[in-house]
Amino acid sequence: MTFEIDPWTRRRFLQLTGMTGAGITLGACASEPESPAANPEAKAPSPVFNEPATKLSGDLSILLWSHFVPSHDTWFDSFAKGWGKKVGVNVRVDHIDVENVPTQIASEISAGQGHDIVQYIATLSQFEPAVLDLADVTQEASNRHGEQLAICRESSYNPHTDKFYAFAPGWVPDPGNYRKSLWEPAGFPDGPSTWDDLLEGASQIYRSKDIPVGLGMSQEIDSNMFGHALLWSYGASVQDENENVVLDSPQTIAAVEFAQKLFNDAMTDEVFSWTSSSNNEGLIAGELSFIINSISAWRSAQETNPSIANDTFFVPALEGPEAALAAQHVMYNYAVPKHAKNPDAAKEFLLHFTDNFGLTTYHSRLYDFPSWPSLAPSLDDWLGDDPFGAKPADKLSFLGDVETAAEWSASIGHPGPSSPAIGEVLGTYTLPNMFARVTRGMSPEQSVKRAHEECERIFARWRQRDLIGGG
Amino acid sequence: MAEMVSDAPTRQTLAGARQRLADRDGFLAWIFLVPTVVYIVVLVAIPFFLAIAFAFSDVTAGNPSYDWVGFENFRRVFADPVFWQSLRNTFVFTVISMLLIVVFGKVLAMVLTADFKGKWIVRFLVLLPWTTPVALSSITWLWLLHSIYSPIDWVLRTVGLIDDNSYFLGRPALAMGSVIAVHVWRLVPLAAVIMMVGILSIPDDLIEASRIDGAGFWRRLFEVTIPLTFPLIAVAALFGAIFTFTDMAVVYILTAGGPTNSTQVLASWSFTRGIAGGDIGQGAVIALFLFPLLLAAAVLILRAVRKVETF
Repeated sequence: MTFEIDPWTRRRFLQLTGMTGAGITLGACASEPESPAANPEAKAPSPVFNEPATKLSGDLSILLWSHFVPSHDTWFDSFAKGWGKKVGVNVRVDHIDVENVPTQIASEISAGQGHDIVQYIATLSQFEPAVLDLADVTQEASNRHGEQLAICRESSYNPHTDKFYAFAPGWVPDPGNYRKSLWEPAGFPDGPSTWDDLLEGASQIYRSKDIPVGLGMSQEIDSNMFGHALLWSYGASVQDENENVVLDSPQTIAAVEFAQKLFNDAMTDEVFSWTSSSNNEGLIAGELSFIINSISAWRSAQETNPSIANDTFFVPALEGPEAALAAQHVMYNYAVPKHAKNPDAAKEFLLHFTDNFGLTTYHSRLYDFPSWPSLAPSLDDWLGDDPFGAKPADKLSFLGDVETAAEWSASIGHPGPSSPAIGEVLGTYTLPNMFARVTRGMSPEQSVKRAHEECERIFARWRQRDLIGGG
Repeated sequence: MAEMVSDAPTRQTLAGARQRLADRDGFLAWIFLVPTVVYIVVLVAIPFFLAIAFAFSDVTAGNPSYDWVGFENFRRVFADPVFWQSLRNTFVFTVISMLLIVVFGKVLAMVLTADFKGKWIVRFLVLLPWTTPVALSSITWLWLLHSIYSPIDWVLRTVGLIDDNSYFLGRPALAMGSVIAVHVWRLVPLAAVIMMVGILSIPDDLIEASRIDGAGFWRRLFEVTIPLTFPLIAVAALFGAIFTFTDMAVVYILTAGGPTNSTQVLASWSFTRGIAGGDIGQGAVIALFLFPLLLAAAVLILRAVRKVETF
C-alpha cells in the first residue's frame, strides 16, 4: 500500500517550513564557528601533568563564565574532566553567563553551599571573608613558574588583611581596536597613539563618514574599563596607593572634560545604552571607527565579517598627559569558598590548570594571557604568526609578549589594590556615570565631586569592616 | 480466613473516619489552604522578615555573619542621591504605566467583547504578551530598541520620519518612555481580560434599556459600563501598579538603570547596591521601601472598590 502526499497541502507546507526552521535553528546553535586556520592543532602545546601532593578523591564542582571564545569552554571541560579521571576525582563544570556570575556566587555563599571553585572575570574581593586564603597555591605556582605579574598579584591579594582572596592565573589585555581604512585617510595610518590623536582622528572620521567612536558611558563593565584608562592617562585615579579616595582632583576634571569633548565631536547617544557586547556588535557591523576591547570582537569578525576583521588593527594603551595605561580587559579570579567540600582537590586543580595555561592561551585563540610569563613560551611566535588566520599574520605582534602587554596595563585598583571598595565602585558604575552626567549638562566639577562623595561613602563602609586601609 | 473476618470491622471504622473527615468543612478548608500558606510563609514572609533583619545589619555578599548596626544603613541610603532618583522613577513609572494600562485595557476589553470573525484568534494573540516570560519579552524589546540594529528605527527611517537612529535606550526621556511602553505592552492583556469579565457580566437588557432610552456610546460607557465594572477596573489597576512597582526585569534588561541612573527604580537599585555592589544591608533597606508604598496603594484601591460596592 502506498500513501501519496500532496506536497502543496497547507498541513504539509507548515510541516516542511517548521522542520526547515527548526533545522536551521538547531544547526546555527550546534555549529560553533571554526577557526579560519587550516590546521591550528599542529601548533598546540603539549599538556603537562604533575602528581598531586596528596591523594585525592570525591567530587569537585567548578563554576565559571561562558568564555567569549566558545572553543575554550569545549577544551576546558574535557581538560578538567581528564584531570579528574587521572587523579580519582569526579569533576563537574558549570558555565553560566558572565553577568550572572556574581549573583550566583553571592547566593551560594549566603546558602553556605555550592561549587568548590568559583571563577569570575573581575575582582572577587567583595567575597574575601567567605573564601579560603590561596597564598599557598599562589606561592606554589610561583615556585614552579617564576615571578607572577604584578597586575595579577594586585588583583587577587589584599595587603590590608594579608590575604589572597583569589588566585589569578591569567588575564586579558585591553588594547584599542581601529579600522585602518577609516584612520588612514584621517592621517593616522597606524591608528591613534594618544588620546589627543583619538579626538582629532575620530572627529574627522565622524564628520566625513558619519562613523562614530564606541567608548561606553553606560552601566556595564567595558565602560568601567574605558573610564579607568582615561583617568590614569590623565594622572588621576579613584584611590591612592594607601587606599584613600583621591578622585576629586584637577586631573580627573581634565579627563572628564576630555570625555565630554570626545562625546560631542565623535560619539552618539548609543554609548549610554551600551551593554558588554555593544562595542563588539558595532565594530563587526562596521558602525564604529575605534573601540577599546580585547581581541574578541576582531576574532568574531573573522568568522562573521572577514572584510571588517581584515580592516581591524590594534594599538596599545593611548597616551595621555601623564601616562599610557589601560585597565585589564579581564582578570581571572578563581576563589575557593569556605563551604567547599573538596578544597584539596580544588587547590590541586588550580595548580594543574596553571601548569597548562599555555593550552588555555592557545584554545582561547590568544585571548587569555598567563600571569606567569614562562607559561606560554610560544606566545611570541603565535603573536608574530597567528595560528588562527589573522591577515596579515603578524597583526597581533604589537602585543609583543606577556610582559610587554603588562607594561601598559594596570589592575583595576591602580595605584592601590583591587579591594572590595573598588569592587563596589565598579559594581555601581560610579565612573561611567561621572563621565555621562557631564554630557547631560552637569559641570565637570559637580560631576566629579558627586562621584568622589559616592566613593567616600563606599570606602568608609568597607573601612569600617576592616577590609581596606587608608582613612 | 479468620484474619480476614477480624479485619472487616477495622476497615469499616477507618472508612467511616475518613468519611467523617471528608465531611468536616473546617478540616478541609485548612487542608486546601496549607499549600498557599506554605507558599506565602516560605517565599514572602521569611524573605520579608530577613530583609528587615538585614536592613539593620552589616551583612555583605561575602560575609553573611550578622552584626547589628542600627540605622546606619538607612542613614547611608538616604544620603545617596541615586536612592531618591530611584524612588521618584518608581513612582513615575508606576503611575504613568497604571493609567495607560487601565485606558488601553478598557479599550482592548471592549474590542474583545465585540462580535467579529476570528474573535478567538485575536483573544489568543492579545494574551501572548502576558503569557511570555518577562525576561524573554524584555530581551526581544532590547533588540527592537537597539541603538544600532533597531527594526523600529529602520522602519521609521525607511518611511522618512527620521534621519538618524532614535537611540531609544540611550536618551533619558526615551529610555524612560521605552520602559513604560514595555510595562504597558505586557500588562494591558491582563487588564483587558479582567475588565472583559466585568463587561460580560453586565446584563444585556440593561444595555438594551439604556439604548432605548437614547443613550449613545459615550453616555453608555461613562454612565453604565464604567460604573458597573469599576471594581474590576480597580483590580486591574491594582495588578498593574503592583507588577510595575515591584518589577526589576524590564529595567535591568533594557537599561540596567541607565543612562546615568535615569531609569533606575527601587528594585533594580536594591539589586545593584546589594548584589553587584556587595552591600546587602543597604540593598535590603532600599528593597524595604517597596513594602509601605505597596501596602498603601493596595489599601487605597481596595477601599475604593469597597466604597463602590456599597452603593
